[in-house]
Amino acid sequence: MNEQTPTLTVMQTPPTVPPTVPPTAPPTLTEPRPLGDDPNERVAIPNTFVAIEAILRHPRRLLFQMRQPGAGRLVAAMIFASLFCSLIYGVVVGTFSGGTQLWAAPVKIAMGLMISAGICLPSLYIFACLSGSQARLIEVCGLLAGLLLLMTILLIGFAPVAWIFSESTESPLWMGFLHLTFWFVATIFGLRFMKAGFMHANARSKAGVNGWTIIFLLVALQMTTALRPILGKSDTFFPKEKQFFLAHWGDCFKPLFEDGKTAARE
Amino acid sequence: MPAQPKIVVAQADRPHFHEVATLLRGDVERISGWSAYIDIRRFTLQVCVIIAGAGCYGAAMGWWRDPKQALFTAIKFPLIILLTTIGNGLINGMLAPLLGLNIPFRQSFAAILMSFTVSAAILGAFSPIIAFFVWTTPSISSTSSTGPIYNLMLSAHVLVIALAGTTGNARLFQLLLKLSTGRQVAGQVLVAWLAGNLFLGSQLSWILRPFVGSPNLPVEFLRANAFHGNFYEAVWFAITHILH
Repeated sequence: MNEQTPTLTVMQTPPTVPPTVPPTAPPTLTEPRPLGDDPNERVAIPNTFVAIEAILRHPRRLLFQMRQPGAGRLVAAMIFASLFCSLIYGVVVGTFSGGTQLWAAPVKIAMGLMISAGICLPSLYIFACLSGSQARLIEVCGLLAGLLLLMTILLIGFAPVAWIFSESTESPLWMGFLHLTFWFVATIFGLRFMKAGFMHANARSKAGVNGWTIIFLLVALQMTTALRPILGKSDTFFPKEKQFFLAHWGDCFKPLFEDGKTAARE
Repeated sequence: MPAQPKIVVAQADRPHFHEVATLLRGDVERISGWSAYIDIRRFTLQVCVIIAGAGCYGAAMGWWRDPKQALFTAIKFPLIILLTTIGNGLINGMLAPLLGLNIPFRQSFAAILMSFTVSAAILGAFSPIIAFFVWTTPSISSTSSTGPIYNLMLSAHVLVIALAGTTGNARLFQLLLKLSTGRQVAGQVLVAWLAGNLFLGSQLSWILRPFVGSPNLPVEFLRANAFHGNFYEAVWFAITHILH
């Protein structure tokens, strides 16, 4: 009892000065930290190599620089770098069949990627605006270029693995699945960068960008069918027959299932 | 001089292509200011967006059938939007004050034109995607009307047009909320305008058919029986045909 008495006395003593509450509201989880608050983010990006390093290590620096005057040069450099990276990955894809595919596959992959991005750019801008984003067209172009750059850099990272498989595997179906998986993983990271960019442009929701993601994936998948064969050999550069990508995949998987049925019967 | 402030606002807030982005974002503070007066350059910009956006989408839609059909649909698609806006302009302007939204005729006309501008901009943005799918998938002549490609294209058109229409009307509702005294009034005006626009728009679409066109019929701007019957008669005949 004797030990409790001083404690009660302290608790009953009223505070002499009421605590002051800051007038500003606490930051919410949906509000990202403003770009450029770190001095490192304000350092200019002088060339493509620095841009590549920035998108991997300091994406906020790239996002900040995209909003500065003269961002057009940076965006152009990013597009050029992604074009170059996609050509390199295309060569690796072409090694599966060799011959003319060594130049046809890189051309088709680079062309397909750029055309897909170009086709989807207007809808991305519209969805960005509908989400309430204040991003200008050049910023939207920059975010799309960032998506392409990160995607193609990651594909370059996957390239040695893909090359080893292409040298040891003879099944185009398996290789197609592998390349699509790599592309899908790379796209997820690219989209993550793009979404972060839109959050910094005061977008009210992610619904618009999520909706656009589905469209972009559909267009890119259809592009792989429109420019086929990318893996296998062909007499012509473009396909002779038009097909929807699901129908094409169905045709590709048909022999596999038929073989399975035959094996089961035997 | 009561008209002077309007002129000042018009000069300070000159119409620019970026206004389309503001319309898409639904920045009602600025948009309600624009709807207060008719600025001829803003009006021209919005009409141009409707012609370009709906025209490009119409071209992509008609291209599936034939390049000539693409040209025809590119003309007809924006024509329906503009004719609906003009044709219903008077009744929409009258309905608004009757339902409790006391705005002048020019403001109701400007509000509807803005909502159609939003829809046309969305349609225009989707036109390269639709054109790409039309280019890379089998043509309508080699596709069965019950096949997956036909259904996919049809579903894509329905989805895109529904998205464009819904977004345009959502933006219109936001503007009506800003201009009106309450949610109920804004809702009533929107429903009344929508009903009128759907009623006229359906009939105009019926007259100006085909948009994609049947592969068994020739490509033409208007069908020979374009002005025979109406949309609602056709729906009625279709229902009775199913029931019998």
